[in-house]
Amino acid sequence: MSRWLSILIALTLGIALGLGYGWMINPVQYTDITPEALRIDYRTDYVLMVAEAYQAEQDPALAARRLAVFGSEPPAAIAGEAEDFAHQAAYSSDDLVLIQELTVALQTWQPIPGTSMP
Amino acid sequence: MKTNRFLWVWLLLTLVLGFGLGLAYTWVISPVEYVDAEPLVLRDDFKDHYRAAIAAAYASTGDLERARARLTLLGDPNPSQVLTAQAQRMLATGESSEVVQQVAMLAAALQGEVGTNLPTEIPTSSPEPIRQSISTSTSTPETSLPTSEIEPTNTPVPLSTATARPTRTSTPTLGAPYQLVGQDTVCDSELAEGLLQIVVINVTRNQIPGAEIVITWSGGEEHIFTGLKPELGNGYADFLMAPDVTYSVRMADGGTPASGITPSTCTASDGNNYLGGQLITFQQP
Repeated sequence: MSRWLSILIALTLGIALGLGYGWMINPVQYTDITPEALRIDYRTDYVLMVAEAYQAEQDPALAARRLAVFGSEPPAAIAGEAEDFAHQAAYSSDDLVLIQELTVALQTWQPIPGTSMP
Repeated sequence: MKTNRFLWVWLLLTLVLGFGLGLAYTWVISPVEYVDAEPLVLRDDFKDHYRAAIAAAYASTGDLERARARLTLLGDPNPSQVLTAQAQRMLATGESSEVVQQVAMLAAALQGEVGTNLPTEIPTSSPEPIRQSISTSTSTPETSLPTSEIEPTNTPVPLSTATARPTRTSTPTLGAPYQLVGQDTVCDSELAEGLLQIVVINVTRNQIPGAEIVITWSGGEEHIFTGLKPELGNGYADFLMAPDVTYSVRMADGGTPASGITPSTCTASDGNNYLGGQLITFQQP
């Protein structure tokens, strides 16, 4: 009985060591990630860039295409999420206004069926 | 004694087995998920999207400091070079000229910060300043002049152009027509044969980067941009002409075109003839 107990303990210890090594010491390295995995502040800054460009271009379709790098989520939802974070993180009022304007524009924008997103 | 040794072997094997199971779980079944990644680890094509967005924002706000800070996130060793290369890739893939122009403009703005010793103005329509800038560039490997031969099919091979370091004041005003203010023959045996050089300047004679130029000839058309060779000037672009082909050059934004352009015939000091070039200068009034 004690022999099996020893083996079980060794197995458990091995698994624990493997988990610790694989998750903490040498986890899987990602080098080619997609923008969906960006941290929220980087996502928000990307949306701010799009909003800054939108301010001059006034082209919601182009803004939506730029936001499409975040996946299939609706562009207005992406902008809205960024707007929420920008409020929480106390972005400057100018930046907040830009993101708000983009969000509103995307909420009212109707994509033309058949147009492709990147 | 023998039993104990056998037990230790079993324990060791079990430990290794457990370690392997743990690794398999963490690396394959449930690897670490990156949900708070930085732009540095984005896939290359998404980095291009990111840079394009930075350039678009810069084109709107003119905030170079913010653009530079954002580019830092991507970890590019030389952002202006990366942007220039991206602009050329985008041109090759048929990206819209507006987007390419934005990327090229940002590259040019960053070049301006580096503080090269390139001329930012050209004094007259004389070809001399251009040739001077070219001869300077030959001392730098990265800025060497194109020496590729003209293809036998008579298809003009466009040389890559790029944007350079614009200041906010030298940004072209959209819709303003350009005037043809200079069209000169260039005979310089050190230049590529049939080299068509184009310089675009504004009213204060500052060179304008990112300006789109349309070159047409019988059966063909090519669009190039100024500033893709910032070492030769922010408003500089060039193109290799084929012999016996007549070209017309105009700014995409409109204005006076230069027509009837062909490679000139020049005579070298040893008496041999060679194909000379042309220097076209457009100015935004």
